[in-house]
Amino acid sequence: MLIEKDMKLADVLHHDHNLIPVISRFGIKLGFGENTIEEICAAQQLDSDFLLTILNTFHDPRYFANRHLKSFPVRLLISYLKETHKNYLNERLPYIALLINQLILEASDHKTAYQLLLDFFVEYKKELTRHIEREEKVVYPYVLHLETAINAGIAPIELLHQATTYSITDYEAEHENVEEKLFDLKNIILKYLPPTTDQNLCFTILHELFILEKDLNEHARIEDTILVPKVEEMESEIKKLV
Amino acid sequence: MAKTLKIVLIEQAFLLAAGIESLVSELQGVFVEQVYHGSEHSLTDKVLGHKPDIIIIDPYAVENQLLSVVKIFQQEPDIKLVGLLSTKAPDNIKSRFAYHLNREDCKFDLLENLKKIIGNSLDKPAKKNRILSNREIELLKQVCLGNTNQEIADKLFLSVHTVMTHRKNITKKLGIKTVSGLTVYALMNNLVDIREVENRG
Repeated sequence: MLIEKDMKLADVLHHDHNLIPVISRFGIKLGFGENTIEEICAAQQLDSDFLLTILNTFHDPRYFANRHLKSFPVRLLISYLKETHKNYLNERLPYIALLINQLILEASDHKTAYQLLLDFFVEYKKELTRHIEREEKVVYPYVLHLETAINAGIAPIELLHQATTYSITDYEAEHENVEEKLFDLKNIILKYLPPTTDQNLCFTILHELFILEKDLNEHARIEDTILVPKVEEMESEIKKLV
Repeated sequence: MAKTLKIVLIEQAFLLAAGIESLVSELQGVFVEQVYHGSEHSLTDKVLGHKPDIIIIDPYAVENQLLSVVKIFQQEPDIKLVGLLSTKAPDNIKSRFAYHLNREDCKFDLLENLKKIIGNSLDKPAKKNRILSNREIELLKQVCLGNTNQEIADKLFLSVHTVMTHRKNITKKLGIKTVSGLTVYALMNNLVDIREVENRG
């Protein structure tokens, strides 16, 4: 289903509750009433084209953002991506660490095994954090810089240099390694974790990991299908400015 | 874990592509990973990049490129090449494909036909034995201790190639890809000692 501006936000979420994190990252508060996406965006001063693109990308993996690609500024996209990062770093990851910790505290047996699991998770968390920091310190500033330069119609030399040496395309390849660790983590819990007294806790941990994975995949897809093409476009545009 | 099979489809006509996808979604253990138009730039590289188990080609989608495209795919012995053909297709086109799907068939026949094609892919020597062999355990230990493939090869008197094959099998059997994941597994199962792991260089 294609999500359109004139649909009621409540209906959209009834249809696909996976979109809830998106709504939360846009800072949209519950209590939508009968308001449409467009009305809510107008009231909260949000770019409705942009919200629609993100909702549709999240909702349908085959959705191609082409239609709205040009209509919103890149800084909106970046601030959304940063908001997602914050959610991972400040909420999701610490919560999972807390749960695994609880597993160790409550265990009467196999404490070492659970400790190993925690260590592995901490290592994964560090790696993901490093990846996120790199994006925020290197990739995003570069992208924002590109946008400012194009809007001003000037091409600073150092930016041109960056555009010719480091291309945004390289960046797509970087997501893979972090994904593998998460995959392993799930399999270790599913297949090799020694039995605990609190199975429910383990189920909660697993569930959280699956949600995190799904969200990370959507996040990566938004970067690969919206950010990357948009930046590629800007990269070729800035080369024309010379 | 049952093996899943990846299909890449080369098709221009949207309705046909959607039809094939819908058909495949009714079968277990197989999915259409990507649909390409025949006119795609560097088509064969892109298709092979997915490491598909099955490639379904509509000859109309690639037109006069058919010969060269098929030739490239035929060099991959593990990939099954399926022609999506009309019953009226000339023999010289039919003969290019080891397997056929008929456009005019009803759903039942298409499904049966697809099952046959897929069936003997799924029967590929799937390793049922999930338990590691002694050799693999030996190798796993070395991996956990932080040794490179070359170092392991030297220590165990194996070729690097053999080491890599063993590592691939270990990963396949356990479903764990990263070195740290393998280490957690080995430690949990007392295959290595935590002190040894901590001392690794």
